[in-house]
This record gives sequence, C-alpha cells and structure tokens, in this order.
Amino acid sequence: MGLKLENVSKKFVGKQAVDNISFEVDKPGVFGLLGTNGAGKTTTIRMLLGIIKKDTGEITWNGKKVERKSVNFGYLPEERGVYPKTKIYDQLMYFAKLKGMSQKEADMAIKKWAKVLKVEEYLPMLAEKLSKGNQQKIQFMTAIIHDPELIVLDEPFSGLDPVNSEILKNVIIDLVKEGKYIIMSSHQMASIEEFCTDILILNKGKTVLQGNLKEIKEGYKANRLELSTNKNIDEWIKEFNMEIEFSKNNEYSIKIDAEEKAHQLLKKLVTNHIEVDKFEIKKPTLNDIFIEKVGE
Amino acid sequence: MKDLRTVIAFTIKDMAKRKSFIISTLIILVLIVIGFNIPNIAKAIVGDNENAGETNLLIVDSTNLFEGTLQTINQMELGYNVQVANNEVSFDDIKGKIENKDIDQAMIIEQKEDGTYKIRYIVENMTQVAMVPEDLMNTINTLYTNLQISKLGLTPEQIASLSPNFEFTIEQTEEQEVSGNILVIMLLSIVLFYAIYFCAYQVSSSITTEKTSKIMETLVTSTSPRIIVLGKTIGIGIVGLIQICLIVGVALISAKVFLDPELLNSVLDMSKMTPYLAIMTIVYFILGYFAYALLYALTGSTVSKPEDIQSANTPVAILAIIGFYLSYFTMMNPTSELNQFAAIFPISSPFCMPFRIMMGIASNAEIILSIAVLVITILIIAQVAIKIYSNAILNYGTKMTFKDIVKVYRDKNN
Repeated sequence: MGLKLENVSKKFVGKQAVDNISFEVDKPGVFGLLGTNGAGKTTTIRMLLGIIKKDTGEITWNGKKVERKSVNFGYLPEERGVYPKTKIYDQLMYFAKLKGMSQKEADMAIKKWAKVLKVEEYLPMLAEKLSKGNQQKIQFMTAIIHDPELIVLDEPFSGLDPVNSEILKNVIIDLVKEGKYIIMSSHQMASIEEFCTDILILNKGKTVLQGNLKEIKEGYKANRLELSTNKNIDEWIKEFNMEIEFSKNNEYSIKIDAEEKAHQLLKKLVTNHIEVDKFEIKKPTLNDIFIEKVGE
Repeated sequence: MKDLRTVIAFTIKDMAKRKSFIISTLIILVLIVIGFNIPNIAKAIVGDNENAGETNLLIVDSTNLFEGTLQTINQMELGYNVQVANNEVSFDDIKGKIENKDIDQAMIIEQKEDGTYKIRYIVENMTQVAMVPEDLMNTINTLYTNLQISKLGLTPEQIASLSPNFEFTIEQTEEQEVSGNILVIMLLSIVLFYAIYFCAYQVSSSITTEKTSKIMETLVTSTSPRIIVLGKTIGIGIVGLIQICLIVGVALISAKVFLDPELLNSVLDMSKMTPYLAIMTIVYFILGYFAYALLYALTGSTVSKPEDIQSANTPVAILAIIGFYLSYFTMMNPTSELNQFAAIFPISSPFCMPFRIMMGIASNAEIILSIAVLVITILIIAQVAIKIYSNAILNYGTKMTFKDIVKVYRDKNN
C-alpha cells in the first residue's frame, strides 16, 4: 500500500524531464527526494499530485491510480505563494473548503494549527503584511489543514529562521507519529538526514541512487577522520600520506581510505604523548554521497 | 459543484472587499448624483427667483407701430418678460438699465428715412446672444401681419383662411420603424461596452495576480483548472453586474428625482424602458461578458509578470474595439444590413442587439439566432481557454508567443 511510482517518464518539448523512475513509499515516515536544480524533482512531484500527466508508467496511492480529481494530498510547493490582499483566515478557509472541509471543521483546524505554528495573531491580517517566514508557515498550514494522509513538502525549511525551523521540525515529527506519509524535497542535506528513512537521488531525470538511507550509508566505507589534539600534528598526518581537508586550532578533518590507517595514526600520537581530545572515524555524509552521485 | 460555489464566493468576497473597488464605485455613484444635479447646482448659483430663465425684454415702440399688441408676447410662453415703452429711449438709457440689471435685453423699433422700419436688438454681450432670436423675429412679424389684416375688415372665415394651420407629418418608405433617440442609444451602447470590457479585463488581471503571487501551484492541487476559470469568471461577472445595476439604478433614480421631467422625456423615452428590454440587456451583458472574460482568462494565463498583461491582452482589446465600432457606426443606420450583421456577429452582438431591441427593429428570429451564435462562440472559447489555462498556468517563464500557445493547446497534459 502507500504511494507507488513504476517506470514513470515525462518528456517536455526537447527535454526528458523524468526518465523511467520507480519508487515506493510503503510505510509512514519521511521519504527524501533529492536532486540538483532541474533534475526532475518538481516534475515528479507534479505528476504524483496529478497536476501534470505522465507520458508512461503508473502512479498509485493505496493501489488506486492517482488522478487530479481523486487526489487530496497536502502540498507545500517550492514557489511560495499567498493572496497578498486577502486576510490570512479567509485564504486558509478558502483552501480548506476546496479540500472538502465544512466551515466548522475548517475553523477548528485553522485555529488548532495557528496555535501550533504560533501564527494566531496573524489570522485577521492581510497576507502582504506578514514576513516571508510567516507567509511560509501559513502555506504550510494550507498543505496540512485538511489532514491529508500524504504530504509533499518541497524545500520546507528554506527561508525559515532557526526558531521557526524548529517549530516546523516538531510538527513534521508529530505528523510522522500520527502515521502520515511525507515526501520531502530539499537541498538541505542535514534536514534530509534528520528526517528521512528512505531517499531517491535524481540526476537529469534519472535515478542515480535510491534505498534506505542507513543501508546506503553502511554500504560506504569510512572516509573521514575527525581529530582534536593539544598541538599541531601536520607532520605526522603527512607521514601517513593522509590529506587534510580542514584544520583550525589543532582540530582536523582528514580524508582516509582505510580505518586501519586512522588507528595507526592514533597509536603514533599516543606514543608521542600527544593529548587526543577527539578521535572519530566517519562515514560519508549524505552531502558527500550526493556530490559523488550528481557532481560533475 | 461545491468547489465552483466556493471559488465563486471567494472571488466575490475578495473583489467586493477591495478598497480600490469600493472607492471607485463610490466615486462613480457620487459623480452620477452630481452630474444629474448640475441644472440644480447652476440654478442655485444663478439664483432661484421665479423669473429665473425668463429674459426681461424692453421693447421701445416710440411710434406705436404695433398699437399695443406687443404685450401679447408675455402670454406666448416664449421665455420673455416684455415691457413696452412708447416713448423715446436712448441707447445710453438702455445701456444703464442693462448694467443695473433692470432689463436683460432691449429692442428699439425705429422708422427709417424711406418709411420702412428697422429693429435694433440690444444685448449686453454678443458672445452670449450672437443673433436676433428667430422665434422673436417670427412673433414680431406675425403680430404686425395680424394687426394689418385686422384693419382690412375681413370676415372671421377670411381671416382663418389666411392662417391655414397645415398639419405636417413624417413617414418612411422602409418597412421597419425605428424609434428612440439615436444619440442616447449610442451613449448607452458606450456604457454597455465599457461595462462588459472592464469586467472581463478583471478576469485577466486576477489570473495574472495569482500567477505572480505563486499561489497557482497550491490552487491547482486544491481544485481543477476548469473550476478555477469558471468560478473566477462567474464571480467577477456577478460583482460587475451588481456594480452596473447599482450605477444604472442610481442614475435612473437621480434622473427621476433631480431632473426636470420634461428635459428627461425629451432625452430618453422612458416608455421604451420595458422589463423585457432590461432582461435582454442583462442577458447580452452576461453573454458578452462571458465571451470576453474567457478570452481574457486565456491571455491572462499566458503571462506571469504584471508588466506583460497589457501586451498579452492587446489582441482581445482590438477584437473588442472592432466589435464595438462595428456596432456603433452601423447604429447610425440601424436598418442597414451591416447593422443586422453586427447584431448577430458574436464580437459585436452584445453591444448592438440590446439597442436594436430598444429601437423596436429586432425580430424574434434575429434575437434567437444572435443568442445562439453567441452561446456557441462562448462554449468554443471556454473549451480553448480552459485547456490553455490548464497547461499554461504553471509556466513561469517569459510571456508566451502565439506559437507557444498553439503548442500548449496541443499538449496532452490535460
């Protein structure tokens, strides 16, 4: 059950936007859809929301074909938009009604989410009076107001300050706890790593990597050593033919090709009475994997 | 259907609540009330005495040529309050009387050396009265002729035969009878054109605003493009119709309350303002509005920057102007074949047919054909506009060319 895309393709005039992609979101949680600009993320999202038709393949939700008329997913688009000259409450009520809610249900949901997202005071105001971050929270409310089972969030954290990012993160965690299916597209790899269980990386419309994020990362060898010492150890690092990625105040990030070498370096440092405050062998981050897969 | 109602209700509320809409409507209503009060305002400024409007005219007949008959002018309702002086009154005396506002104008009857008579008409300033009023000249001539005839000792029958009182009537060779003041009809045609045009233009502006504010993507995932286009068009049309009814209502009430009934009847034959005409005018307003609003929905969806609206809408504006002028100029000859064509041709029929009905020259068959052609045209435009809107609304690039629009229409996205 859940969302399933099988061999989906879409071609625009002279350009293959999405090329035969398949993935499945079969349990509640956050699914990460990644890719560079123009990789085909938005086209994929628009197809699974039924906004544009696919050329080939099949998209189903709980076993039923996804069509524009039948879809009632929540969607926070990358292109933020509100009616500037309309009161916040009125536009939330408008979208809630379009999504099938009654006046009473919509009113209750607006008040509930306005409280959670801390935007209650803005409800009677015109949208143009709100900051960009608050407008974004209003649009997020539009996406979830009707309590959809599947929510698509395209760059949900861009433009939000740390306080508002934290509020949004907590809401997303709560939504997952409630059993919602969330598809998140973002360039902020830290956010994807924080939330996503499964990911798919697109490049020029093609899938270049997909699967469980933990398993993907386990498939990679450790490639970085993070060290913190009480004195400069540049000479010893060079002696082991290692490359320093970054160093500052005796804190090092060093590229490694084998964990063994890192242990040998540690042994050498201890033997030479160098105090080691931090020694951490790290696997590639999602950012590293992303760059490796789509960087040219 | 529920979604359509929601979009209509939101559009109406959104438009009617806008300060710009409320202020512009109020300004128009105030201007209408002021406009119909101009005669009263002028009267208040000039003064409101009983004789206002009557000209105080002094006629100097020192030779008593008219033998006292000049006083009868006062009973003729020519707008003159005549005083007759049978003594000599000089030009300077008359000048003093005009300056002191004792009189407005004067007339001096003088005998020339050859025995004939000369009448001098004296006014304060010839820019106000450039020539001797014709009705006054005719009256003076008639008075003198009657005076001389009465001296001939004729019988009443003989006198009556000299004044035959011919009855003049006018008839036409064409079978269709045209009634109504053409100038007023042309004026009303302009009002109807602007009402349809500006209401329809709002649709384009509203769609581009949604694209500019990037709300479109959220909107198209909430309901179908067909519902958005139709809901928006109907909503704006309802607001426009209410605004027009308000303006026409205030204009009619103002005309009735503030205007002199005689003046009103001379300009507008109120007997022609039948409920049937009102209904047909509303029907043509709605159909005309739909045709142009859907065309504007099409052009509005092809742009995503407010500065591009004007150029994208130009083809529709040109079409509307051609339609309007086709109707406007052929109305000068309402029985012509070209005017009949304009009443059926869909781009001009909304501006033409209501006035053919008003003039009483539109047959039922003509009306049915005209409405049928307009409805079919609207359905075709709606089909094309909704398809292009569906495919073009998520295009945030530069303004689409005609070639792009054709390509988008053929796109199998929707």
